[in-house]
Amino acid sequence: MRRSGRRRVEPLVAAVVAAAVVAVPLSGSGFWLYNLTVVSLYATPVVGLNLLLGLAGQVSFAQTTFMAIGGYGTAILTTRFGVDPWLAMAAAAVLSLAASVVVGLPLLRLRGHYLALATFALALGTTSFAAGATTLTNGTIGISGVPPLALGGLSSASPVVAYAVSWAACGLATVASAVLAGSHVGRAWRALATRQDVAATLGIRVTRYKLLAFAIAALMASVAGSLYVEFTTFVGPDLYDIGTVINLFIMLFVGGRGSVVGPLLGSAVVILGPQLIAGLEQYQNLVFFLLLLALLLLRPAGLLGRIRDPAPLTAILPVWLLRRRLPAR
Amino acid sequence: MTGDALLRVEEVSAGYGRILAFEPLSFTVERGGLVLVLGPNGAGKTTLVKALAGAVALRSGRVLLGDEDLTWVPAHRRVRRGISLVPEGRGTLPGLSVFDNLDLGWHAAARDRRGSRREEFERVLALFPPLRARLAQDSRTLSGGEMQMLAIARALLAKPRVLLLDEPSLGLAPLATARVYEALVRLSAEGLAMVLVEQKAVPLAGVPSTTIVLQTGRVVYRRERARPTEEELADLYLGEGARG
Repeated sequence: MRRSGRRRVEPLVAAVVAAAVVAVPLSGSGFWLYNLTVVSLYATPVVGLNLLLGLAGQVSFAQTTFMAIGGYGTAILTTRFGVDPWLAMAAAAVLSLAASVVVGLPLLRLRGHYLALATFALALGTTSFAAGATTLTNGTIGISGVPPLALGGLSSASPVVAYAVSWAACGLATVASAVLAGSHVGRAWRALATRQDVAATLGIRVTRYKLLAFAIAALMASVAGSLYVEFTTFVGPDLYDIGTVINLFIMLFVGGRGSVVGPLLGSAVVILGPQLIAGLEQYQNLVFFLLLLALLLLRPAGLLGRIRDPAPLTAILPVWLLRRRLPAR
Repeated sequence: MTGDALLRVEEVSAGYGRILAFEPLSFTVERGGLVLVLGPNGAGKTTLVKALAGAVALRSGRVLLGDEDLTWVPAHRRVRRGISLVPEGRGTLPGLSVFDNLDLGWHAAARDRRGSRREEFERVLALFPPLRARLAQDSRTLSGGEMQMLAIARALLAKPRVLLLDEPSLGLAPLATARVYEALVRLSAEGLAMVLVEQKAVPLAGVPSTTIVLQTGRVVYRRERARPTEEELADLYLGEGARG
């Protein structure tokens, strides 16, 4: 009995991405090693966002909140309490999961724009809190000196180790999302994304399934947030500002909502694209914006997407042009 | 009230906000029985079946399946108890393949009542053979008749004791309607209880156990073992004398 008409192109793209990820450290290029590490660190929360928005149809801007819990949790636990970085990352992940349930239970009962607005407020509140709660977060100065991860005799202070660890996390998130997307859970998410009323009459506990997507997305964001801070040894409120919130959405829409490999591709385009046209200097942002716009006009569902609804992206692209922030080296 | 009623609907009413969609209504459905609810647009038919499925909260009354009171049981649990809805507009899930739609139906059944997925799929595909060749196809690309077959097949995979059907003939060509009704007659003969909602007279072989006609939420016709002729129905919808 045949299952479904999954697009044949995705496994091919996944194989090319995997080959590129393995090949880059062998090339010895510092530029690619660093930038692809950043790609993986952004792709991981986007994989989570894809489960939440691309599959379950829930518009949530809360991913940066959980990245912040991961980042600040790790920084505070390691620098102030001397907790092992791995343990700190795990503790922050547990905290993110708990926070996602506490926040998600009331918010996920809201539908459509209300959920988007509530989580947008949460994202804005996260940056304000990070900047304002100086005794906990050190305010706008942030926290420096976060220790790197130790891996046997290796340390994530080494770019190659950081690259390997971040891609291992991203790969794990991607494989998990592929398994979930193809399972009954994925079908239930897609059902409630299209017809929530019908989903309920098919025995799907709507709030529980939404919460599951929200919690898994939070976990992925938290781990990526922790890794980013451990690799750069610094955390500050700017990492989680509105520019990052929008960037995550752009990455998802460019890669393609509902696609398993799309988040990786979208993150690569958004992180690497501007750098590849850096020679254009003051026109860099404008040209990249026009290229993105052209891409989305030609492929409204994104590079690998299955959903034909470009409206939300066309609404946020101009904002993104004004607020774009690329991760600082 | 009959002693062997499978579904008992007692003085049930429902609505949205301040608007009452239909006034208190009672009926029973026995095993293999069929309650036919007719009415024009806005009569409250869809709200009635949604209320029975648990998708709309009741304003009054009780819904009992066997001896179990389902009045406060939410929709996702009601389907496991054995009440399955074929929603208006077919309710197939666009973007999901035929297989995925059927799989959701199979998962909706209570574990102790469902067979293996292969067996259950074979059972419904035997009833609706055109779906067999379309398993990998996105459900939005099916014809209207195939979508309706899929919606019924999916509801059947949930192993219902009572099947609620909301206008299964809506927008279908006469041939497709006939095929759908042929399947419903077979299911009824196998003992499945049904509540069928339609706007107009249906090509139903046999006579429903109860026929109710709703007009703006009020019962304007009710007969046991009988149903209105097309002329009577036109009179009920439009008022007597409306026909030339």
